[in-house]
Amino acid sequence: MGSSEERVVAVIMVGGPTKGTRFRPLSLNVPKPLFPLAGQPMVHHPISACRNIPNLVQIYLIGFYEEREFALYVSSISHELRVPVRYLREDKPHGSAGGLYSFRDHIMEESPSHIVLLNCDVCCSFPLEAMLGAHKSYGGIGTMLVIKVSAESASQFGELVADLETKELLHYTEKPETFVSNLINCGVYIFTPEIFSAIEDVFKQRKERANLRRVSSFEALLSATKALPADFVRLDQDILSPLAGKKQLYTFETLDFWEQIKTPGMSLRCSGLYLSQYRHTSPQLLASGDGTKKATITGDVYIHPSAKVHPSAKIGPNVSISANARIGAGVRLISCIILDDVEIMENAVVIHSIVGWKSTIGKWSRVQGEGDYNAKLGITILGEAVDVEDEVVVINSVVLPNKTLTVSVQEEIIL
Amino acid sequence: MKALILVGGFGTRLRPLTLSVPKPLVDFGNKPMILHQIEALKEVGVTEVVLAINYQPEVMLNFLKDFENKLDIKITCSQETEPLGTAGPLALAREKLIHGSGDPFFVLNSDVISEYPFAQLIKFHKSHGGEATIMVTKVDEPSKYGVVVMEEGTGKVERFVEKPKIFVGNKINAGIYLLNPSVLDRIQLKPTSIEKEVFPKIADERKLYAMVLPGFWMDIGQPRDYITGLRLFLDSLRKKASVKLASGPHILGNVLIHESAVIGEGCLIGPDVSIGPGCVVEAGVRLSRCTVMRGVRIKKHACISSSIIGWHSTVGQWARVENMTILGEDVHVCDEIYSNGGVVLPHKEIKSSILKPEIVM
Repeated sequence: MGSSEERVVAVIMVGGPTKGTRFRPLSLNVPKPLFPLAGQPMVHHPISACRNIPNLVQIYLIGFYEEREFALYVSSISHELRVPVRYLREDKPHGSAGGLYSFRDHIMEESPSHIVLLNCDVCCSFPLEAMLGAHKSYGGIGTMLVIKVSAESASQFGELVADLETKELLHYTEKPETFVSNLINCGVYIFTPEIFSAIEDVFKQRKERANLRRVSSFEALLSATKALPADFVRLDQDILSPLAGKKQLYTFETLDFWEQIKTPGMSLRCSGLYLSQYRHTSPQLLASGDGTKKATITGDVYIHPSAKVHPSAKIGPNVSISANARIGAGVRLISCIILDDVEIMENAVVIHSIVGWKSTIGKWSRVQGEGDYNAKLGITILGEAVDVEDEVVVINSVVLPNKTLTVSVQEEIIL
Repeated sequence: MKALILVGGFGTRLRPLTLSVPKPLVDFGNKPMILHQIEALKEVGVTEVVLAINYQPEVMLNFLKDFENKLDIKITCSQETEPLGTAGPLALAREKLIHGSGDPFFVLNSDVISEYPFAQLIKFHKSHGGEATIMVTKVDEPSKYGVVVMEEGTGKVERFVEKPKIFVGNKINAGIYLLNPSVLDRIQLKPTSIEKEVFPKIADERKLYAMVLPGFWMDIGQPRDYITGLRLFLDSLRKKASVKLASGPHILGNVLIHESAVIGEGCLIGPDVSIGPGCVVEAGVRLSRCTVMRGVRIKKHACISSSIIGWHSTVGQWARVENMTILGEDVHVCDEIYSNGGVVLPHKEIKSSILKPEIVM
């Protein structure tokens, strides 16, 4: 395949509203893919990484949110990147491979030579250009991004074994109970169009099995998992796992950061990871100041140009301030995401928290989380339009939208 | 005649139910809460109902069109752009409430359920010739509320006392008023409290009267009171010998079952249960003191008490759900699970037991 014929299409799976209740309460107001990390919507980071792919012709977002949720974003980002970005809506969840397959006509429209598949809720450096180069040299139908993690955490993910020399994928298993390997699947893939035939084979097999309905009672016992509809095809378990060891799939290891953004706590952590990445990739996005004309900035901080921050405030590290926010005199912000139109009054303190759109934080009040990004109440989250009155303390709590806190709370969920 | 129903804001106390629909549309006794009030108003000749809300009315408007057609009554929304308290909304809706006839208009608090004896209220209001009539209800612990001190014989209101420290009376404001149009001249378009600013002035002029609400009264703005309210409501249906109540060997006490619901063999339902349209209650199920909303499936041998099961949820076989468990819309409790006071947000699956009251997001 000559490089003049090379065309790449990127596909980003964004999910949908009824899945992933783990992102509540933030997902009550905004689809998770559009929640801002380091000042940009979550989906913007993988899309931005696609910029570095030579011969990129199209980007598709596939999910089952309503089209109107993505309409504005998609048209503005197409304009900015000068690459068409389209949102395709699944009528119902089909699994990661099923979704890809159901839109194969769109994806193959430009006759791409390679398809990059990304999961929106993955936070990493997306080394796509290097990965594409490696994929071409392996000559398989797919290459997966992989990373080494600690043995204890590996079982939460898809564990895989790769040949040390050829980097071929030898074995893959999803969330195993016993230890298989500390090398895990990052949720970033590069495929050739042959992947669609592999998915089609699985559909055919399923149909054939359904036709031979004489399932013995022992077999019925074995299929202890919920019966999946025939058109629900998971990429990892149903497609990749069976192809392991057949010289079709390869791996590309990243040594950079990698996290999954499943909960609001993790979104705070990942916002910090992307902020620190800006230091290398886009330092002009980071704020600076020393308390004279502009507020004191320490560590990596993003401040939207329309936000107003009093010079006596001290901001950072790991703070992201969104549009039209107003940060008053003497405010201290550490490790937090301040969303649009928030007003933080004098001398308030916010640590390890997410403050929702249009909320207000009163004078001398303290909104704080412990900073355990994985615990249920590890950071404090204030939903949209929450008012924290003067001098009130909110610790390790989650407050749903449109509430007013007149007394201090700790370790509570407030509906 | 016209009426204003104070709907207010986001109904956060009734979450998780109000995460799926606006509070006035949450079902109570198999009917949207607000429909009970609108029907009672229609019956005494009210031709237009104005809903005073302070959030986007779009979600409500489709439902309202439906009621408008079925009931042949006009329903509109009056939307506050800033919170106006309990009196301000009346000033905001002024043009809709005054229409030259000089008729008094009703004001209702949307969270209140009662028998809505509006005909009696109109009669009393006309007879005393005062400017405003408020309904009051007797409570056991008056010092939790604002007490209305009134002359026993005439019902003339002497004064209001907010959360009194000593006993001054046991009647509190029931949130149902009949007001002459002149009351609107007393209210400016700004945040104003009707109990603290407007009524005391009218009382000083000896023009405010109170009528004791006959029958039951409940503010069902939060789940615990909702369940108590259901008991009172079903009890009042029983007193009126309503044919709507279910009967049979599998029914205990007061039970309301929608005609499209299906009940299996060997169940024991009641007391104080309401089962909504399209529900399926499989064999061997025990239900007591609970509300089961539209489209719910309760699987075999399950046992539910003192709980609210939200629209289209399912409760698994042999599951036990009790002690103020509130399931939001589309919640699925797996087989054999125990929930003790779980409050579950919409679109969740409960795969492990909830041993003590907890919010599941």
